[in-house]
Amino acid sequence: MNKKLFFVLVPLFFLLLSFQAGVKKKKVSPEDYGKSIINNFSQKAGMMPVLFNHWSHRAKFTCRLCHVDIGFAMKNNETGIKAQDNMEGKYCGACHNGKYEFNGKRVFEACSKDKNSPNCINCHISTNAVKNSENFKKFASEMPKDAFGNEIDWEKAEEQGIIKLIDKIEGFTLHERPKFKAPQNFDLNAKVEGLPEIIFSHKKHTNWMGCEGCHPEIFIGVKKGLTTYSMADIFQGKYCGACHNSVAFPLVNCQKCHIKEDIK
Amino acid sequence: MRFFVFLFFVILFSEGFINLPEPLPEEFYGNTLIDRVSTSNNVKAVVFPHWIHRIKFTCRVCHFEMEFSMEKNTTEISCAKNKEGEFCGTCHNGKTSFAITEENCARCHTGDIYLFKDKYLAFKNSIKLKEKEKINWDLLMEKKIIQPKTYLNINPSKDMEFDKTLELEAEFHIIPPAIFSHKTHRKWLDCNNCHPDIFNIKRKGTHFLMSEILNKKYCGYCHTTVAFPMNECKRCHPKIKKNYF
Repeated sequence: MNKKLFFVLVPLFFLLLSFQAGVKKKKVSPEDYGKSIINNFSQKAGMMPVLFNHWSHRAKFTCRLCHVDIGFAMKNNETGIKAQDNMEGKYCGACHNGKYEFNGKRVFEACSKDKNSPNCINCHISTNAVKNSENFKKFASEMPKDAFGNEIDWEKAEEQGIIKLIDKIEGFTLHERPKFKAPQNFDLNAKVEGLPEIIFSHKKHTNWMGCEGCHPEIFIGVKKGLTTYSMADIFQGKYCGACHNSVAFPLVNCQKCHIKEDIK
Repeated sequence: MRFFVFLFFVILFSEGFINLPEPLPEEFYGNTLIDRVSTSNNVKAVVFPHWIHRIKFTCRVCHFEMEFSMEKNTTEISCAKNKEGEFCGTCHNGKTSFAITEENCARCHTGDIYLFKDKYLAFKNSIKLKEKEKINWDLLMEKKIIQPKTYLNINPSKDMEFDKTLELEAEFHIIPPAIFSHKTHRKWLDCNNCHPDIFNIKRKGTHFLMSEILNKKYCGYCHTTVAFPMNECKRCHPKIKKNYF
């Protein structure tokens, strides 16, 4: 009996070995970086899942506006957006209500009782990948270049005023941003000896995120050293990786954080 | 009982424990046949010689900045995209290198990986290597005989400096440890070419066996196809007395 068990366990052990990592994942193309497919209820209701492009929205609004004021979760499919919510002016319906105007253009209305409304396919799509790609290319050609992610240097685009970010919306943003100076840049020591230190700039982050975007949920402490984390955690999508793995410039861009000297 | 012994060996073989792949002869080593859509579109498959390209560019340029995947046939290269200046078209635009025009089709679409032998021997001749000596790309770079480009579009203000040497203990005690140099690899690759997909970054977090390497995982991801092949034991396990294969 024991022998039989042995011969069952040995192949199982080798089978397990063969499932390990050690190969490389494929990279996401620039137009697909930051793309979220939202499918909490869509397919159950006989609609296509919703395709949300971060790039087209972050060209107009700060991250904070949607992820703090309007209340979108930062994990895909965690918000549980319903058509009813949108019709009541929550979530997507905060802007996509048919009344909100951007650049003198009225923003289309999201979700209605009428399933044949031409607006449905603006979001509930899977087939217009070509059009999306064209739109992206046109947009990206006018932006400062970066190497990774969307291949757009969003930070520079904002700094140079090529994109102007809206940070409030009526009914959701209740008060002005607190007027205090962003804390100074600080160094984070890398855990491995010999690796350049990280310089974290609050100023660059608060432009997009405010304070509430990160504190206290992602980083508990506002005091330095209270939250400890490793690069392995970050690669798993925690801490910095909450944004820098999916929407903000990706973690492949080592030198963008691991620099000691040259920061203003 | 005999059956079980037989089974055991079958498992060993199937898991690659005794599987040392015979590398291509050195003049063809690293030649890759790319055939994602070529033959289905009635064109011959593309042959990509790694060695010609690595004279001028480091691995990093194509496999990191230009987003060529490291797995064959998984990058969505197409003629249209090349002509728009993506993928191969980044350099093959008539300025940096020959353009993608109709008369040049056959230069890549050859369908045969046993090519460029004369060119290879001529290159070896030009760098004064004897016939039986193999090219040590790393040495060539160190001596500045070749100066491949590290950056294409983006020049970071500073190189990422990390030169730690690791001693990797072998699974069996009779085998001397492998010496891994970050410094040598960093010259060709970016951190992200290996981390965290192939090797995670936890200290002593990635355990792997020689059998897995021979199955093109971990080190074998490059060192069975493009970087120096696995039969040069001494280059990683320097205390081994000779190359056994």
